[in-house]
Amino acid sequence: MTALRQRTRRLVVPRGQAIRRGRRETALPYAMVAPLLVFIGALALYPTVLTAYGAFVHDDALDPPTRFTGLGNFQSVFNNAQVRQSLENTALYIVFGVGLSVALGTFFAVLLQRRFRGRGIVLALMVLPWALPGVVEGVIWSWIYDPTFGVLNSGLKSVGAINHYQLWIGTHQLQSIFFISVVQVWQITPLAAILVLASLQSIPGELYEAASVDGATSLQSLWRITLPLVRPGLAIAAVEGLIMSLNIFDQVYVLNAGASTASSLMSQTYEIAFQNLNFGQGYALSLLATVTTIVLSLLTVKLIYRKVEF
Amino acid sequence: MASRSRRFGWARGIGIGLLVVWSLFPVYWALNTSLQTNADAQSSPVHWFPSHFDFSNYEAVFGAGPSSASGAGSIGRAVVNTSIESLGATLLTLVIAVVGAYAFARLRFRLRGVLFYAVLATLTLPVYATLIPLYKIMTSLGLVNTYLGIILVYTSGFLPLAMWIMYSMFQALPPSIEEAATIDGATTLQVFRRIVLPIVRPGMAATAIITFLFGWGQFIFPLVLGSTGATQPLTVTLSSLEGRHVVPYTIINAAAIVAIAVPAVIVFFLNRWIVDGIVAGSVK
Repeated sequence: MTALRQRTRRLVVPRGQAIRRGRRETALPYAMVAPLLVFIGALALYPTVLTAYGAFVHDDALDPPTRFTGLGNFQSVFNNAQVRQSLENTALYIVFGVGLSVALGTFFAVLLQRRFRGRGIVLALMVLPWALPGVVEGVIWSWIYDPTFGVLNSGLKSVGAINHYQLWIGTHQLQSIFFISVVQVWQITPLAAILVLASLQSIPGELYEAASVDGATSLQSLWRITLPLVRPGLAIAAVEGLIMSLNIFDQVYVLNAGASTASSLMSQTYEIAFQNLNFGQGYALSLLATVTTIVLSLLTVKLIYRKVEF
Repeated sequence: MASRSRRFGWARGIGIGLLVVWSLFPVYWALNTSLQTNADAQSSPVHWFPSHFDFSNYEAVFGAGPSSASGAGSIGRAVVNTSIESLGATLLTLVIAVVGAYAFARLRFRLRGVLFYAVLATLTLPVYATLIPLYKIMTSLGLVNTYLGIILVYTSGFLPLAMWIMYSMFQALPPSIEEAATIDGATTLQVFRRIVLPIVRPGMAATAIITFLFGWGQFIFPLVLGSTGATQPLTVTLSSLEGRHVVPYTIINAAAIVAIAVPAVIVFFLNRWIVDGIVAGSVK
């Protein structure tokens, strides 16, 4: 049938027309990718090159002119105590962010692995925090954390866990970072859960049946079958968590309100570039953060990711 | 066997209860606060439910009622700005990504591999890589404080992921349908428009929804690119009201609920496509 149609078509279409169409179609792919390439080239790749170049240029709106400075910007930022603090803080944000979101996400994924009534609704509720703006999350959590009227203080005091209301964020470094990190974990855990769930669901059910026939308990199946086989999902979830924590800004901006106690690398970069208008040092920090993001992502994937075959 | 699954049944029930409380409580708390008077919201112990529904905070958010003078009236404008910017960026991203992804997935042309990886590589670029230069570029083009500037920057940021999701959707299609149409004499563009696009509509929906949600939540770029209020999205307005103790927390929570409502409705009704999109976009 198709062969017949093909033959008729060949007879019907005049040769010249076919050739013309052919020539027009060689340009077509380029026309189709051109808008994409223009956007990516002009507003992603070119700016990245500018950042890499700008890191080595003295570019301070309060101290013109712009001039080449070699490693000067890097020296200045590393001699800046606030920058060093923000680097340390960001390391803590990464530890809390990756650890908590992957652990909690895996727990949620295991809960949602098997079908049950209302699973669709639970899944939708779980995804909700991921879909909300980080700033809005910072705003609603800052009311929860409020030192005078917050529900966290009120709730903990009524069950007797604390004697008097606490200032959760602003004084103690580790505690401030933890409570800000929780807000980000609230946002990114659904992502980790979905990624782990996707690899859980790719595990064939027969493996569990076979294990159960051999007398394995549910906990043994979880430990021996599930966890090794979800490694790819865990790896991707860890990388996503890592990138998010390395870039944490919205929650810090709202909850930390400019103090350096819990400043992150991004909030520090924002302050240097857009409050102090020292673009050169901003570029230097940005370049470091960009390279770190890419290197850490690749390393994490290499460490955890194993191709899984059934 | 049956007893074991029952034993794990209640453990699962508790776990799911925890999941729901964890995911929903902060939103519930904002909603609860937004429906209280300022005096109720500041009472101790806290009110776990509003004693009566008080909508004056929402009236203030949209510029009506007695509290609107306190700077809360700017929130209504910010909602409009956020909608224009995220819808504009979604449309532009979707059109460019779908057309480009199809060419990369199905057409053969010189430099295809190099160009494809150049686009994909930008998927790993963090905000840091482009923030300061984009501010400078937009300043020199006079696009600071304009919708166009913000839409262009959003689009450049969303394109790599959108392209990647659409690329994997196109790759998943069996090529036989397109081959049959080509044999019937359809041009590449006809095949793309009449046959492929209708089939990948769900994928386009997933891409559009995820892109829109990203746009709705953007903060640092509009913070940097719009120093005046004219084009400020809700996120920037909210962050400037927060912590100044000028606007009561009940009104801020009402504004937060407005910012939450749109994504919440999307998640509730279109959840499946979001999950599909996230999975398609991150399994590399």
